[in-house]
Amino acid sequence: MTTRLHPLLIVLTALVYVFLLGPLIIIFGASVSDTTFLAFPPQGLTLHWFENIWEISAFRRTIVTSFQVALLGTAFALLIGIPAAYALNRHRIQLPAWLSTLFVLPILVPEIVIGFSLLRSVNVGLDVPVFTTLLIGHTLLVTPYAIRVISASLASFDFSIEEAAISLGSHPVKTFFTIVLPNVRSGVVAAFILAFITSINDVSVSLFLTGPGISTLPIQILAHVEQFFDPTIASVSVLLMVLTIIVMIIVERTLGLTVIAK
Amino acid sequence: MKRFAGWMLSSPATLAVSLFLIIPVAATISATFTSSDGVFAPYTDFFSSGFQRTVLWRTFEVAAYTTIISLVVGLLTAYVVSRCPHWVKSILIILAVFPLLTGVVVRSFAWLIILGRNGILNNSLEWLGLIERPLALLYTQTSVVVAMIYIFVPLMILVLVGVLENIPEDLLDAASSLGASPTRTFVQVVLPLAVPGLIVGAVLVFTASFTSYATPHLLGGTRQMMMGTFLHQRAMVTFDWVSASTVAAIMVAVIVTTVLVMTRIARRLNPMAT
Amino acid sequence: MTLPLSLDSVTAHYGKVKVLEDLSIHVGAGELVSLLGASGCGKTTTLRLVAGFLQPTSGTIRLGDKDLTRLPAHGRDIGLVFQNYALFPHLSVQQNVGFGLKQRNLPSAEQDRRALQMLERVGLAHLAQRLPAELSGGQKQRVALARALVIEPPLLMFDEPLSNLDAKLRVDMRVEIRELQRANGTTALYVTHDQEEAFSISDRVAIMNEGRIMQLDTPETLYQRPANSFVARFVGFENLIPLTVRDRSGDVVRAEAKGGAMLTLSQQRLGAIPDGFVLATRPDGLIVSDDPTAEGLPATLGLRTYLGRAYQYRCETGTGHLVANGSLATPFKPATQVTLTPNPDQCAILAVE
Repeated sequence: MTTRLHPLLIVLTALVYVFLLGPLIIIFGASVSDTTFLAFPPQGLTLHWFENIWEISAFRRTIVTSFQVALLGTAFALLIGIPAAYALNRHRIQLPAWLSTLFVLPILVPEIVIGFSLLRSVNVGLDVPVFTTLLIGHTLLVTPYAIRVISASLASFDFSIEEAAISLGSHPVKTFFTIVLPNVRSGVVAAFILAFITSINDVSVSLFLTGPGISTLPIQILAHVEQFFDPTIASVSVLLMVLTIIVMIIVERTLGLTVIAK
Repeated sequence: MKRFAGWMLSSPATLAVSLFLIIPVAATISATFTSSDGVFAPYTDFFSSGFQRTVLWRTFEVAAYTTIISLVVGLLTAYVVSRCPHWVKSILIILAVFPLLTGVVVRSFAWLIILGRNGILNNSLEWLGLIERPLALLYTQTSVVVAMIYIFVPLMILVLVGVLENIPEDLLDAASSLGASPTRTFVQVVLPLAVPGLIVGAVLVFTASFTSYATPHLLGGTRQMMMGTFLHQRAMVTFDWVSASTVAAIMVAVIVTTVLVMTRIARRLNPMAT
Repeated sequence: MTLPLSLDSVTAHYGKVKVLEDLSIHVGAGELVSLLGASGCGKTTTLRLVAGFLQPTSGTIRLGDKDLTRLPAHGRDIGLVFQNYALFPHLSVQQNVGFGLKQRNLPSAEQDRRALQMLERVGLAHLAQRLPAELSGGQKQRVALARALVIEPPLLMFDEPLSNLDAKLRVDMRVEIRELQRANGTTALYVTHDQEEAFSISDRVAIMNEGRIMQLDTPETLYQRPANSFVARFVGFENLIPLTVRDRSGDVVRAEAKGGAMLTLSQQRLGAIPDGFVLATRPDGLIVSDDPTAEGLPATLGLRTYLGRAYQYRCETGTGHLVANGSLATPFKPATQVTLTPNPDQCAILAVE
């Protein structure tokens, strides 16, 4: 309604968005190019490079590993994150202030340092298998997101509802599952999705936690780019972007995308 | 029982972070102080090497350029986004969330296609007749900075839109009713009130770009080694774990210092605080 | 400096929704006019149009001979006091007051002098170096007032300036606002939803509903001679009784209510009475009596509530539910048959709508 934006600012914003989205559109184009090198605008049109993903066993394997690690890691993160978030909101008075700082450490400490340290101490030091260490790393990496998002939705939960249920004779544990959890369901969904996408995209933690036959998709992409500069990578990237779009649609349907912006 | 409910519920997460983060990272850092050549030997080694000093300095430079440019671009864009009609704002936010949720590898890779020897930029410049032979755009500091800015601008936009939306509309109305032009309102009202948010955004971008791996790896290669890629090279190529641990310890020190100093400054500059 | 403000057939939309329809108001130089109404009636929209934060779809807004309609907000030179004070949290009290002077590129010594002088006038010179967050609500409102006055605007506007203050302070502040406005002789437009506030402070009041002005008059006229049923209900005429004239003799009119009851009314007291009309009365305007010979509306009393100065009764009559106040001296029991007689001092004649 009020017009106080300078036209130059609007032009600048438009350019920023071209800058943000242009490269992603270029990837889409390059993925269907009928050339053995990466080209944009695409020359010819083929879905060959998408088929190629399945022909390269390393991609098949790492896609499976990435999904396994992301799903399991996110599940573990929720398993330890939900009670922690509940405790931080419900029992804040008995918990020290540094506890919430502790839970942001996995974001604060550089991921690459976490990955390297897990390699040193857990994988090599304790002789824990690579896949398990990778899973530990990813669980650790996404736990802060789980705690933060669920905390945010618990913060707007009216705990007198829980007290009402308990006063009506419901056991506290049962109350948590029948009253509290259903009311923060959207927070749990958001936490799951945010954690999952963070895990799928992770490079720095996974970088050190690869072994014979075990690697994640982003690491495989980096390895493939070093040897071949063909459009396969573009088509893998397109698959990852499609995944992102699906995730965004789910988030938008469940609670609106502004959640992620926070 | 009830008195310990909070502790019990938070203990699995506390245990996980302590066991798998605090102890391993502490072990990594303490490993740098157990050298037989003296307690600080790994650090004197690090700083006496011209190459390694260059890596550290380059990392600072790239992170600083990335932060400053993302800050300016992000602020102006976020200002426009926050002042847009509701539906336009939603679309612009979604369009910033999309790249943010797309992985760093994919987004850095896009710049390989753009800046490569046969990339779009070289092809266009040749077609326009501006150059005769492809420029070596990749594996330069500029290519790393451009890609880093590309990675972090969406984050900056989203952080700053949140901050700017928290500035009450009434304050802008008050400023213009008192005769302040839009530019003056921006400089005298919006900017000072956004300072704490700008600091948060700057810290996020600086720490993330200082410790990044994928972008410098893809666009800088071994020619533009940064702390992240250097750590990886020491750990996985030369298997010099003491040296890798030293790099890790320096990174942690830089990040912790940055966060502590900036949060203190932010607290002091927060105009809303009483 | 003081100038008259006029809005001529202003229409405004929020998106596709029409929020103001063909609105015209003239505020004379030095006059204080209030816009009064419930939220959503268009009063704040009107103010924002004059301030330049909204653009009208059609119509013109003039201040003196200057056409403001297409002028940007920062070029309008209007002092505005906000509901939430809208003080700049990062600036001291003095810098807040000096903000408008700074925009006018006055030398900084002059800015300081005039800001301090204005703070002196509102009694806050000793707080000049404080930040807004350190002030009480009343002090913040004074700073906001000083900030709007110091630029010596030809027009002052107030958007619910007192609604965030407690009751006692509200009364003090409105006197203070009125005194400052009078002393400067500044034209003023005052938006409020508080009837008492609007009536006590204004030269004239515009009662608004659904984007239109229902009546624009002095408080006295509005209170005693509402022009329509909306305004009548708004100022407390809770009973609207439709009547038909059966007989006229000189100034005296005999009119019949639904259910057959006859009332005798004097045009001398109530003004001209058309053949079909609505008699509006306040609860105090219906005298409750159990005297069977009294002329009026026969009624059965319902629930009785205690108001402190009177008893209030819900009454069943042939013309519907009515509310009447009875004296404390003679309380009636529920279900008592009584007669309700209009007291002409608390009545108004309305046209049938």
